[in-house]
Amino acid sequence: METRMKGTRTRRAVAMAVAVATLTAAGCTSQGGAAGDGGGDEGDALVVGARVDNNSFDPADLEIGNRVQYWQPVYDTLLRLSPEAEPEPNLATEWSYNEDQTVLTLQLRDDVTFTDGEPFDGEAVKANIEHIKAGTGQNQFMVAGIDEVVVNSETEVELRLSEPVPALLSYLAWVGGVMASPAALDSGDIAQEPVGSGPYVFDAEASTPATKYVYTRNEDYWNPDLYPYDSVEVRPMSDITPTVNALKTGQIDAALLTPAVAEEAESAGVTVDTLAVAWAGLIIADREGKVVPELADPRVRQAINHAFDREAMVEFILSGYGAPTSQVFSTSSEAYDAALDDAYSYDPDKARQLLEDAGVGDFTITLPQWDGPWNDLFPIISDQLGKVGITVKYKQIPPDQAIAEVLSGRYPVAFFPLASASAWQDLQTWVTPEAPWNMLGAQDPELDRLIEAAQMAPAEEQPEAFQEVNRWLVEQAWFAPLFRPDQVFGTTEGTATTMQAQNAVPSLWSFQPDQG
Amino acid sequence: MFAFVLRRLAFGVSLILFATTLTFFLVYSDSSTIARNILGENASRAQVEARAAELGLDRPLLVQFLDWLRSAVTGDLGTSYFTTESVSAILVTRAPVTLSIVLGGVLVTALLSVALGMLAAVRRGWIDRAVQVLSVTGMSLPNFWVGLMLVVLFAVTWQLFPATGYVSPDLSVTGWLASIALPVAALALSGVAAATQQVRGAVIDVLEADYIRTLRSRGLSERSILFRHALKNAASPGLTVLSLQFIGLLGGAIVIEKVFALPGLGSTAVESTIQGDIPVLLGVVAVTVVIVVVVNLVIDLANGWVNPKVTIR
Repeated sequence: METRMKGTRTRRAVAMAVAVATLTAAGCTSQGGAAGDGGGDEGDALVVGARVDNNSFDPADLEIGNRVQYWQPVYDTLLRLSPEAEPEPNLATEWSYNEDQTVLTLQLRDDVTFTDGEPFDGEAVKANIEHIKAGTGQNQFMVAGIDEVVVNSETEVELRLSEPVPALLSYLAWVGGVMASPAALDSGDIAQEPVGSGPYVFDAEASTPATKYVYTRNEDYWNPDLYPYDSVEVRPMSDITPTVNALKTGQIDAALLTPAVAEEAESAGVTVDTLAVAWAGLIIADREGKVVPELADPRVRQAINHAFDREAMVEFILSGYGAPTSQVFSTSSEAYDAALDDAYSYDPDKARQLLEDAGVGDFTITLPQWDGPWNDLFPIISDQLGKVGITVKYKQIPPDQAIAEVLSGRYPVAFFPLASASAWQDLQTWVTPEAPWNMLGAQDPELDRLIEAAQMAPAEEQPEAFQEVNRWLVEQAWFAPLFRPDQVFGTTEGTATTMQAQNAVPSLWSFQPDQG
Repeated sequence: MFAFVLRRLAFGVSLILFATTLTFFLVYSDSSTIARNILGENASRAQVEARAAELGLDRPLLVQFLDWLRSAVTGDLGTSYFTTESVSAILVTRAPVTLSIVLGGVLVTALLSVALGMLAAVRRGWIDRAVQVLSVTGMSLPNFWVGLMLVVLFAVTWQLFPATGYVSPDLSVTGWLASIALPVAALALSGVAAATQQVRGAVIDVLEADYIRTLRSRGLSERSILFRHALKNAASPGLTVLSLQFIGLLGGAIVIEKVFALPGLGSTAVESTIQGDIPVLLGVVAVTVVIVVVVNLVIDLANGWVNPKVTIR
């Protein structure tokens, strides 16, 4: 490092030079020591950057998406999802449904102990499910359909449901199946001090909230081969610029990125994995024409769908990191039908024709708009709809109120990006009359019938039944999906991972040292 | 002197009251928005209402504020809506981060601006012009841009300092110095640029004063005149500028903490505002006002100490 040494004889300059040299040396030391050194050898630390800070370790308040990074080290779940979202054994080794799919019987491992010494058994399952049911966390819906947990023995429980819950296996692999020590659940401290049976133990001493969360290996873990790292560290980083810099300099081994920085990261030697887990587009909430009567006609909603040049949007808005689509379900969903991706081509003439057929002249819709990552998209939406005769007015809303405002039911149509999970969960969140994203409570007897048929169908017939629902939704144009944006995940040299279907970030067991 | 300190403290308390009241009523959106932000996009309306009731957000606004105030007076600043962590614990971990970079920034600003300002004032000529050009350039460069450039050069390209993060001095003093070096440099640049001009001006004014000429005629050495007499008299405006710089740097810290992913008061203020985490935000505002009041008080006292002509009453 060049140090200005004019007037070197003064003591101050010498002192400064010494200080700079010390700092430089300190910088070098901390570079090497702080991060997982990028080498990725077995036994190393895995250091992960997280887009959001941790909220709570209380199972009743746990979240999926980015926050799994904080709780997967400490908590085991009853089942686990493969990267393709297939349920696999974990704490429960086998499972079976009764004939009408209202009783799920689980066989449990008998060799698992929580880190406070409490045994994992049927009673623990009951205590955990009841704990989440009693809470007000956002994933409480994952256990809401379980009426009763019957403990048959230490290693067998029955989950009794009021009606079939087609996504139950997937729920038991996420927050619905998280198992904490029952004693810790009662302690009142679990939000800050998690006690699970997971592969790692939370090290509160070494952790600083908002800076780093440190987890050390649980020496008594029943399945250590799945987790090659001696310790895991999660560092919250809400902004993308420091995240990319931390990856480039090897301060962290892995982090969620954005399409905008993917190329820059790749050119710096970061491996970039992609997977689409969400869709972004218009929710045409006013399907019954309560606010804008024109929207009650399916041809008008279809016209909206034909108005958009989705391919251009993917190129311009997502820098190519994504795919155009006309359906709301992700490619890993049971409801996904590849043929529906291009159900609505870019065809302004057809859109105008459809509006004419519906006997509709020019009309106006009001959409909410807020400052944020979609700033460039809003004018494109209004421009393309304007070209077929639909005037878009935007109402500016504060970014912190975007979700609440969009869900308020005040808007006939709203743009939003939504993560797609299992087909059943998606229908409960976006489509059924009570679904939060069915903001104006639209309902259709034919749709109700199709959803019920899917719910009641035997497991092997469910995918086809869900695809039927999907086809109806596309045909009736309840939504105008635009594209599936890719989740872009970066890992440094020496670290490998596999993207997780239906979640923003890979699961902890997917991280491996990359010897190649 | 005692009365002065007491008056200042009373002023500080009313300032805290004013700032927190204003913040509460400006930022508070509505109970369902806060509960929705906590629970996320998939929560049902019933869940949102249940969480709002659980947190007491369904009570009248004034009741909520007075409740907070009552607890705050007893030292209980409440808990974060989002992390269930106590606000005091959050402040204890965040305040040292911001203080490290801001006080570091003030220190660097003081040392460099006095050195450069005096050099320019004494030598004049091309050195003076060069310092002035550098000052103007320094003032016109935005903090975040300087921060980004420092990261690109010193962290990414040369790998001399960490690009992000904060290391507490309890864990490692050298690690702490390394983690704050670039943020301090980014923060100090505009401060140095502005304060150098002030020091230069003040020193020139003093050097042209009659009593300096008198001292020179008595045969005192230039060094003695400069350090023992001129600097002491120029220190008063310098300290005032420094106290203003401190407040400016505290504002600049918000951006710098974002650039370097530092968990300080600035980034906490931004995040708690975006989320509507009112207890955390009120805590940050209160502690920031305390810091500003204390620093100003200390600088006023220092001013009185270096320059007896300034009377503190």
